[in-house]
Amino acid sequence: MKPLVVGTLSEDEVILEVKDLSVKRSGNLILKDINFSIKRGEFVGLVGPNGSGKSTLLLTLLGVLRSHQGSVTLYGHPPLSNRLIGKIGWVAQAAANLPKDIRITIRELVRLGTINGKNMFRISDGGRRKRVDKAIQMVGLEDVQHRDIARLSGGQRQRAIIARALASESEFILLDEPLVGIDRESRNSLLKLLDQLCHDEGKTILMVSHDLTAIRQTAHRMIFLEQTIRFDGISDEFPDLVQLANLRGIGAVHDGTDHADHHHHHHHHHQKEEE
Amino acid sequence: MGLGILLVDVLSPLLEFISTFLPGEFFPYYFSAPYLQRPLLAAVMVTVVAGILGCYLLIQHLALMGDGLAHVAFGGVAVGIVLGATSPLSYALVFSVTAAVLIHEMQSREMLTGDASIAIFLTGMLALGLVILRLGGGALTTDIESYLFGNLNLIDEESLDLIALICLVSLVVLGFIRQGLLACAVDPVAARVQGLPVRNIGLLFSVTTAAVVVVMVQVVGTLLVTALLVTPAATGQLLGRSFRQCMLWTQAFGFSSVILGLYLSAEYDTGSGSMIALVAAVIFAIVAISQVVIRSFIQSDDNIN
Repeated sequence: MKPLVVGTLSEDEVILEVKDLSVKRSGNLILKDINFSIKRGEFVGLVGPNGSGKSTLLLTLLGVLRSHQGSVTLYGHPPLSNRLIGKIGWVAQAAANLPKDIRITIRELVRLGTINGKNMFRISDGGRRKRVDKAIQMVGLEDVQHRDIARLSGGQRQRAIIARALASESEFILLDEPLVGIDRESRNSLLKLLDQLCHDEGKTILMVSHDLTAIRQTAHRMIFLEQTIRFDGISDEFPDLVQLANLRGIGAVHDGTDHADHHHHHHHHHQKEEE
Repeated sequence: MGLGILLVDVLSPLLEFISTFLPGEFFPYYFSAPYLQRPLLAAVMVTVVAGILGCYLLIQHLALMGDGLAHVAFGGVAVGIVLGATSPLSYALVFSVTAAVLIHEMQSREMLTGDASIAIFLTGMLALGLVILRLGGGALTTDIESYLFGNLNLIDEESLDLIALICLVSLVVLGFIRQGLLACAVDPVAARVQGLPVRNIGLLFSVTTAAVVVVMVQVVGTLLVTALLVTPAATGQLLGRSFRQCMLWTQAFGFSSVILGLYLSAEYDTGSGSMIALVAAVIFAIVAISQVVIRSFIQSDDNIN
């Protein structure tokens, strides 16, 4: 536990600042005039229909996509700066991004989170074992830690990747669609875990999802993205579907994409449960 | 005195001691006769390093990398021979490392996907070697054939020194980058966010692979490099449950392939390189088939819990 004083003093510290950001990918304008900032300790949900630029925004924040206009600063530095090493944790979409043909255990995967640009050549353990133990325990995967990741359920795999980010002891954690491809029960416990990370461990979280209901329950603040920011405010004030349609300039009768998203999502759950 | 000769001197008494327990008429000479101790040590050293490289190549889906670089190296050997070089392997080294760097650059710039750039280099450099060979008036002599299929008798003191040096340097390099390498292979984006020099790690790995492949060309031959680089690692992946276990199994299979291959080739007078490759493939087949059989007989709870 950090001393309380530090927490209160740094409460208002801006961790992420995005100014006038526009991003083009293969000629198409994906993001336009994005402006927002995130303070320490916030839990922000980033929502929007498919193809609204959520992942593009995330990859730009991380510095993986570099062709943009405007500025992104993390802790006062540009993305991928050496000063940021060990501060930012990234949780990729598990189902899509973990190669299933690699024989690697949860423990080995989580351990990869402890290495970074500064310590990769260090031979000593440097407390890595403890950090790995703690991270695995936090996500509740102690019992299966020596199991090969190819044999995990979607929910377990997602937890393993979160543990990887936790093992890096980063303060700021970005998650891309962590709720995709996992059953309802795992979803709820995952949301609970994220909530704990924010409140008990003092992490700052930015989570991308198109599961509006889930994110509304957990996040303090929500950003609705569709090429540009259409809503940014506390979760309780997040507009309902009708208002949302108006925000997006679509008639109230036709609330298209979001509804389809939900449908798709439920369908997915059913498939999972049947398996 | 170089590293290889030093190794022979140190290990010679031990090898001679082991030779007294070994079966076969000719095989024990690999342990007792100095001129055969050299190829034995060369083969074992190369197998150890190749096994490690193989595990990392497989998880990066670069199984054909070794094959490609070996053909490039062969092109280099051909050029070296025509130019009258005393050690054509140094030409092979230059060719192979250059190709590895270029292939890596093409991949990281996403100009071509992994396999395509390897295929282009494989055929292009091989063709270059053959054309130059013809222009230089050479033909496919036995000397050249031994680079295609490997010839352990080619390993003189000088080559052994080079092999030992390259193996040692490769082990040190791999020891340093092993964690970063695994992180990059599992999730390159996460590795970049963690501040790992993804590109340089990949480059270092490619160059290391290129250098090891060149010494493998001498031991098992151009056409059979993959047998030591990929086959043991693939067998290891069938059995290992973790990356660490895969690595250990790979070493076990690589070592058995070499020893058994040398034994059979000595007793039945076949080429050592091809026999090692054959043994490695047979071991893979046995493990794969028995795994399928065992799985279908035993009701495995593995998939359930």
